[in-house]
Amino acid sequence: MANNEEDPDFSGVKSGASSTAPISQPAVQTYTVEAGDSLSKIAKRHYGDANEWRRIYEANRDLIEDPDEIFPGQTLKIPSA
Amino acid sequence: MRFHRTTALILIGGLALVGCKKKDTGATDTSGAMSTEAPVTQTTQTTVETTPANVPFKVTGIDLGTGVGSDKKITGATTTFGPKDTIYVSVATDGSAPAAKVKARWTYGSNNKLVNENEVTINPTGPTYTEFHISQDKGLPAGNYKVEIFTDGSSAGTKDFEVKK
Repeated sequence: MANNEEDPDFSGVKSGASSTAPISQPAVQTYTVEAGDSLSKIAKRHYGDANEWRRIYEANRDLIEDPDEIFPGQTLKIPSA
Repeated sequence: MRFHRTTALILIGGLALVGCKKKDTGATDTSGAMSTEAPVTQTTQTTVETTPANVPFKVTGIDLGTGVGSDKKITGATTTFGPKDTIYVSVATDGSAPAAKVKARWTYGSNNKLVNENEVTINPTGPTYTEFHISQDKGLPAGNYKVEIFTDGSSAGTKDFEVKK
C-alpha cells in the first residue's frame, strides 16, 4: 500500500461519462452524504473553499430544504468548479 | 267400441309422455356436451414475446482499461495504471428503462476515501455500454483503488485496480 494513503490529494481529479444509449440527463459529478458531513465540508472538499457551500445548496434545492440539514445517503449534485 | 276408444286414448297419452321424456333426456345431454367444451376454450395458449422493451434493465459486465472505443467498450484492458493515465470503466447493460441512473463511485485505499462520483441518466432500449473516466493532471496517488457501479441507487458490482508509480 502507498505511503500517502492517509492524506491522498484528489482535489484535481477530472471525470466524465458517455454512453451508447440516449442520455436523458448529462453526466454530473455527485457526492453521497456521509455521517458528519455539512455543505461547508463538502464545499471545502470539492472546491477547496468552505464558503462555496451555497453553490451546492442552490444545485440541490429540490433535495435540501434547510442547508443545515443534510442526511447520510443523500446524493447531491456538485456543480463544476 | 268404448273400450277401444279408451284404450286408444291411453296409448296415445302414453306415447306422448314417452316422447316428452326422450326430449328431456336429449336436452340434458346437449347441455352436458356444452359444459365439456368450455374448458377447451379456457386453455387457449397466450404467447408472450421477449423483446428489448420488456427486458428489465440490468448490468451485465464491468471492465477497466486505459481507453474506450466509439462503441464505449474498453480498449487496453488492465487493472494496473500509471499515475497520469486516464482510467476508464465501461459498464455493459441490457434491457430498457425510460430513465436509468448509472453511477460510478471511485474510492481509494482501505478506508474507501472518496475520489470521485459521477452519475448519468440514460434511456436504454437494449444492450448498451456506458463509460466513466477519471484522471488528474498532477497524477493520481499510488495505491489501491476501487470503482463501484450503481444503477438507480443499488450497487451492481465493483472492480479493484491499482495505480503504480
